[in-house]
Amino acid sequence: MPEPVVIQCREVSFLYPNGVQAIHNISLSIYRGDYIAFVGQNGSGKTTLVKHFNGLLKPSTGSVTVFGEETRDKKVSYLSRKVGYVFQNPDDMLFSSNVADEIAYGPRMLKVDPELVEAKVESILQELDLKNLRDTHPFALSLGDRQRLAVACALSLDPEVFVFDEPTTGQDFFGSQSIMGLIDELHQKGKTVIIITHDMPIVAEHAQRVIVMNKGEIALEGSPQEVFSQVEKLQSLSLKAPQVTLLARALGESSRTILHIPEMVDWLQARFPVTIKSGEELPHV
Amino acid sequence: MTDQEQPKTELESSTPLEQPGSTVTQVRTYKAKGRIAGMSIAVLAIWAALYIVASAIPALPVPGMAGMITLNAIMTAISGMILGPAAAIANAAGGIVSMILFPYGFSAGPLGFLTVTMGGLVAGLFMANKWVPAAIAEILIIGSWFVNPQSWQTGMWMVPLPYSAIALLVIVIKPVRDWVRNAIITQNKKTMWLAVFVMCMIGHAAEFLTTNTMVNWMFNLTWQYWVPTLPYWIMVDTVVILASTIVGVGVLVGLKKARLPLFPTTLEK
Amino acid sequence: MFSVSLKSRNSPLQKLDGRTKLIFLAVIFILVLLFTDLLYITALLALVLAAWFIAKLPTQPLKEMLQFFVWIAVIILVVQVFFYPGTTNLVHISKPVPAIGFSGYLTLEGILFGLAMVLRLVVIMIVAPLMVMTTPLPELMLALVKLKIPYKFAFIMTTALSLLPSIQNRSAIIQQAQLCRGISYDSGGKFITKLKASVSLLIPLILGAFRDSQTLEVAMNSRAFGAPIKRTFLLESRFTPVDILVIAGTFTLLTVGVMLRIRGFGVY
Repeated sequence: MPEPVVIQCREVSFLYPNGVQAIHNISLSIYRGDYIAFVGQNGSGKTTLVKHFNGLLKPSTGSVTVFGEETRDKKVSYLSRKVGYVFQNPDDMLFSSNVADEIAYGPRMLKVDPELVEAKVESILQELDLKNLRDTHPFALSLGDRQRLAVACALSLDPEVFVFDEPTTGQDFFGSQSIMGLIDELHQKGKTVIIITHDMPIVAEHAQRVIVMNKGEIALEGSPQEVFSQVEKLQSLSLKAPQVTLLARALGESSRTILHIPEMVDWLQARFPVTIKSGEELPHV
Repeated sequence: MTDQEQPKTELESSTPLEQPGSTVTQVRTYKAKGRIAGMSIAVLAIWAALYIVASAIPALPVPGMAGMITLNAIMTAISGMILGPAAAIANAAGGIVSMILFPYGFSAGPLGFLTVTMGGLVAGLFMANKWVPAAIAEILIIGSWFVNPQSWQTGMWMVPLPYSAIALLVIVIKPVRDWVRNAIITQNKKTMWLAVFVMCMIGHAAEFLTTNTMVNWMFNLTWQYWVPTLPYWIMVDTVVILASTIVGVGVLVGLKKARLPLFPTTLEK
Repeated sequence: MFSVSLKSRNSPLQKLDGRTKLIFLAVIFILVLLFTDLLYITALLALVLAAWFIAKLPTQPLKEMLQFFVWIAVIILVVQVFFYPGTTNLVHISKPVPAIGFSGYLTLEGILFGLAMVLRLVVIMIVAPLMVMTTPLPELMLALVKLKIPYKFAFIMTTALSLLPSIQNRSAIIQQAQLCRGISYDSGGKFITKLKASVSLLIPLILGAFRDSQTLEVAMNSRAFGAPIKRTFLLESRFTPVDILVIAGTFTLLTVGVMLRIRGFGVY
């Protein structure tokens, strides 16, 4: 049985006030528990589309429903309890004088019972490993911690769906790993996750569904295997499948699409059976 | 600015300039003059840009004044505290451009930028511990209100009382002055709020009394306007000062935590 | 909400040098403050409106501005009409109320003076937009520099202008981010909400911009800001014969105005 639909777009178009049409007749269903990556060139309309999911933008024509409710006449503050949005730059969200207050801000604005807020803050601090930093000023945190805090702020409103706008941009390898680990965790807990990214290996490794946008329309959609197998089509959209995928193809693998390193290693070992003991150098094939 | 390696007011650098067609290499040395009153021009330009953006965001509609109070009122009130005397320059630059782009924010016409300049100047001089020029500026502001013969009408002497007269007292009385500056420079958790409130009051008072004086000269508003509306203006100004205090504390603490250059921390040493 | 921007591209006013227009602005401003007589102020208003139409500017911004200033206009009018110490009584309203300085009559002088003040407001408020709508901002900045405004100051203004789109963009993103955190900017003008919204916008906006300032500083230094050379400009401005004519006319107007004022004309 398919999971219930959480976000439904019907023929959504959006025109910016300056007349630029950013998205064009998009119909799309997002199901509970989805892990979707939106990819595409800058200006392809990804961010414009996802900003419709919590009412930041309202469709010019068509409709967006979130948990069965039209976004058109709903406030963002109301929809944020259903769809949390984490912005690319955490500094755009933070302004309180310590971590705990920052997390409590949203629920307080929505007039949640103070005791419940307290409990919520505690559990989020615990969950995101920010407990030691509870009294720290947000601006004294490292970029990675600020980003966790931004996630914590979204989490404090208890949404079912999370949208991450370019969560790994500007991060080093470990930073990316850490934030993606956090996103995976949210997904494992049953949340619906939507990410926007330019990082194809991240898409291949984490997402379960990929939506490629181009000029305001959905150009490709499917599982990472399905999408990344269409190397030429991606190229025409100025996108590139992950290097492992391309390498596997170059080595003659055509029956399936290899998406990440462990898969590649398995495949290589099946294809070129050599036993490698730990510590031993790879033999030259 | 935390370390000595950072360029202060002068940066020596030598630039070899090749003369075309000659083998002689001329070496010029110049001092980069990228600073005004100790603040980098880059910071001042950014402040001016922030100022313009804030001028486009209405905060309070003001019946009885052309225009409305925009977020730039908050920017003016906190500018001196953050930029020092150079705030006058940054506010003037931002003020001129925003006056051109969004004229509704200014009730004093083409010279409206002078009001925000005064706001930054008095508070900035105070913060830089130049209390004599600060006091002179404040006295000039209060004095210019009374230059207009109209200001001697019934009860109009009350207009500069809240808060310009109080600001002048804070500037002149040494213990108060030192207490306010210290609380801000050391970012004392308990006393900082009150000190920032006083600072914002100094900045905002200089701005609005200049505005009042100019409006009065231009439109000949008599005591029948000023005296009944005075409680209302006190309320509006108090609200602006309170809002500025919250923003001011947030910005000061944030700048310090993020180790960014700002005026009070340069005074710390 | 409105903002003024370049609206007229091919008009005689657009072809004038920025400096000419700045001088015109200053002179009109001085003259309108010099006189209190309705006749003189009406003449100045007519001059400004004539310039408005010569510049082929749309009347829409004019209407918007007037709507915006209607409140202060009403207040100015009421204060002057009721409290200006006039001598020619027109309409009897009530017994004199000395406590508030009301004579009991509406006077001719009060009404004329009130109208004069309102028109003065109109002139002051539309003369600057007149210039902005006919001059591209870079030209305006150049004019300020040519009028010997310190280069550093002009640099701050032009840099601020070029930073404006990115800061505006950032301010929009921050407002969106705060919306996502439960702030509603639209909740019917509730005072505390507005206050919280301003705080949550200004703090990240200012701090974020200060973070970027260090990059800008490096960029400025690496491009030899402050090198002791004579500056040349990409845009050049030159006075044309028309400019000289207009400036001469403007100064004549100023001289005549000051002479009249000294001789006691144009004031009550």
